[in-house]
Amino acid sequence: MNALSDVRAMLIESATRLFADHVDAKLLDAAKRDGWSPTLWDIIEEAQLPLISIAEEAGGAGGSLSDLAAVLRIAGRFAAPIPLAETATAGWMLARCGLQIASGPLAFGPVHGETVTAHQHGTQWRLSGSMQRVPWARIAQRLVVLASGPEGAMVACVDPMQCKINAGRNLADEPRDDVVLDNVVVAGSLAAPAAADVSHAAIKLRGALVRSLLMAGALERALELSARYATERSQFGRKIGQFQAIQQELARFAGEVAAAVAAALSAAGALERREDPLLAVASAKIRTAQAAHEGALIAHQVHGAIGVTDEYALHHSTLRLWAWRDEFGNEAAWAAELGRAFAAAGADQLWPLLTKD
Amino acid sequence: MFDQVDFSSLELPVSARKLQQEVREFLQAEIAAGAFTRHLGHTEFNAEFTRKVAARGWIGMTWPKRYGGRERSYLERFVATEEMLAVAAPCAAHWFGDRQTGPSLLRYGSEQQKQRFLPAIARGECYFALGMSEPNSGSDLASVKTRAERAPNGWRVTGQKVWTSWAHKAHAFFVLCRTAPDSGNRHEGLSQLIVELNAPGVTVRPIRFMNGQHHFNEVFLDNVFVPDDMVVGEIGQGWKQVTSELAFERSGPERYMTTFPLFTELMRRLGTAPDARALEMVGKLTARLWSLRRMSLAIAMTLDPGPDGDNGVARATVDLATEAALVKDMGTFYEREIIDAARLLSEVEPTPDATDTFERYLAETIVCSPVSTIRGGTTQVLRGLIARKLLGPLK
Repeated sequence: MNALSDVRAMLIESATRLFADHVDAKLLDAAKRDGWSPTLWDIIEEAQLPLISIAEEAGGAGGSLSDLAAVLRIAGRFAAPIPLAETATAGWMLARCGLQIASGPLAFGPVHGETVTAHQHGTQWRLSGSMQRVPWARIAQRLVVLASGPEGAMVACVDPMQCKINAGRNLADEPRDDVVLDNVVVAGSLAAPAAADVSHAAIKLRGALVRSLLMAGALERALELSARYATERSQFGRKIGQFQAIQQELARFAGEVAAAVAAALSAAGALERREDPLLAVASAKIRTAQAAHEGALIAHQVHGAIGVTDEYALHHSTLRLWAWRDEFGNEAAWAAELGRAFAAAGADQLWPLLTKD
Repeated sequence: MFDQVDFSSLELPVSARKLQQEVREFLQAEIAAGAFTRHLGHTEFNAEFTRKVAARGWIGMTWPKRYGGRERSYLERFVATEEMLAVAAPCAAHWFGDRQTGPSLLRYGSEQQKQRFLPAIARGECYFALGMSEPNSGSDLASVKTRAERAPNGWRVTGQKVWTSWAHKAHAFFVLCRTAPDSGNRHEGLSQLIVELNAPGVTVRPIRFMNGQHHFNEVFLDNVFVPDDMVVGEIGQGWKQVTSELAFERSGPERYMTTFPLFTELMRRLGTAPDARALEMVGKLTARLWSLRRMSLAIAMTLDPGPDGDNGVARATVDLATEAALVKDMGTFYEREIIDAARLLSEVEPTPDATDTFERYLAETIVCSPVSTIRGGTTQVLRGLIARKLLGPLK
């Protein structure tokens, strides 16, 4: 009844094959050094995966947000060192505001609610402000910026070469760069009033959703590695997976992974149906962050000392989990926001709200 | 996990939404009329309420119409069940018949047994209990010692069952017993018999819960005669019959919602603008419940009542037995998170004498909190099962 449709199943199969064929230890190690993998980007862009969920008329690849969610889960599983989630989100901002989709990897900001101002100069716009820790800014072809214009919020497609970018990184060495815009010139055709649903709050919500999906995938990989290691590694004359103590931990881990997958994918569906998505997205970010906390530590415990080395693959997943859980709002911040909304609605609305979708 | 499930498109169909509203309104009216008292931990055995639920068609609702059922989907059953749990409705009288005995009879029972018991269960007039555990058989169910010996036209059963909830109120119970000596393969030689609780040789004695309440019993069977037509399925196939029903019954809303009414009352006590610490705890409880429900819904959606040729026997379109075990494991721990949040945020000293609803629920749930991770497969047994699935055969 709720089994995968054939189209979705084919998308999952082909995307999985694509990442599996190209993401290996060598590529991930090179990306740690270079900040990303241009080789992988070319392959994924060629397959039109970054612009899934953006209508073809708007320059996207078509498909739904749920299709994008399925792909992001896989990208997370393979620790794909490319701005797939960011390009999709930036593309959504452009498309919603009637702007042309730029090609190549995209980044968007601000992601911490900072104010960037836009002033009109003839047919052009000039943007000023600074944005902290913008994901992948330094490798993006274009920065899609939500700015404050004279007549309200607007979206502008900015050339990063015109910005001052201070390279930063997260725990997994993914670029998280500070960006300063000092009267950056944007052509009139590359800026437009922001659609009502493109706001700081909406960006944070989308950001939380895509991080949840990536975390769900990363958790799946960490569990796969842990289960495999438990069947290969012997101590005390037995496979460590034969010890009940290890089995109990792995089972707990599997629960965390299942909950993360269920929550993240469900949230994508909720946002797609344009219901009030706070419950779904906040729940997804809270639940995946909690699973990341529990799961990453179980994964390392099962692996013992080998798991903490840079030569063994586990850290590609766990470092990302530890980074992503704190991006676009950690579990405590989202819990407070969700708690506020539910408390305000009153006790008798708790159950009706929980069962709305 | 959940590889075949499309969570993003998982939505309640219109029929289930409509039912949700109907059940909700029915329950609100019952509560407003003071029709039942609400307790957590152990819900009440309330035959009058059970008959009202039956009259609405909400007992045996997935069963074929010719056996008193309504041929509705498992998802609709899910919705009706969660509404009952959300307000601590007293479902004890029909619980086992609706959830376990009925489906077992549909799957393995004779036509005569189905005709005799199913419509009566669906009318809310016949109550069943379960005779599985014994003094020396808890998690290790295959070790049961209760034995049945061949007699003219039937069997003579002797043994002892324990933790038999509501045996003192039920009409009959399913007894798992040994009909052939242990031949080395412990899963062979077990059978399921229906034993009427007023039959000569049956003695029911209370086992009081630690707070003095009576819902558990021990049931002594002393040479009790069971006619051949009360054998469920085939003699010797009891193990297969018992274990086949466990998988999808592990993941229902009763695995994570038995303390939910305490959550509602906690919200009432906190008011509409609680402090930051309370907001965070409430937000986390909400997120975890929403996630558990999504998983439990996904499992309910994979169950089909099956074509009529199968007598309405549930079939899983996708095998989610491991996922069901995960939901039970996580759900039972979630129920305790609600209790702890309620304790820590209210700073109430719990007492059995509490009159305030919140405080009463708090006391009731604390005392019953050890139960959920023991019944229906202990945490440790479930985790072993999950790990074996995860790791495959290890030698």
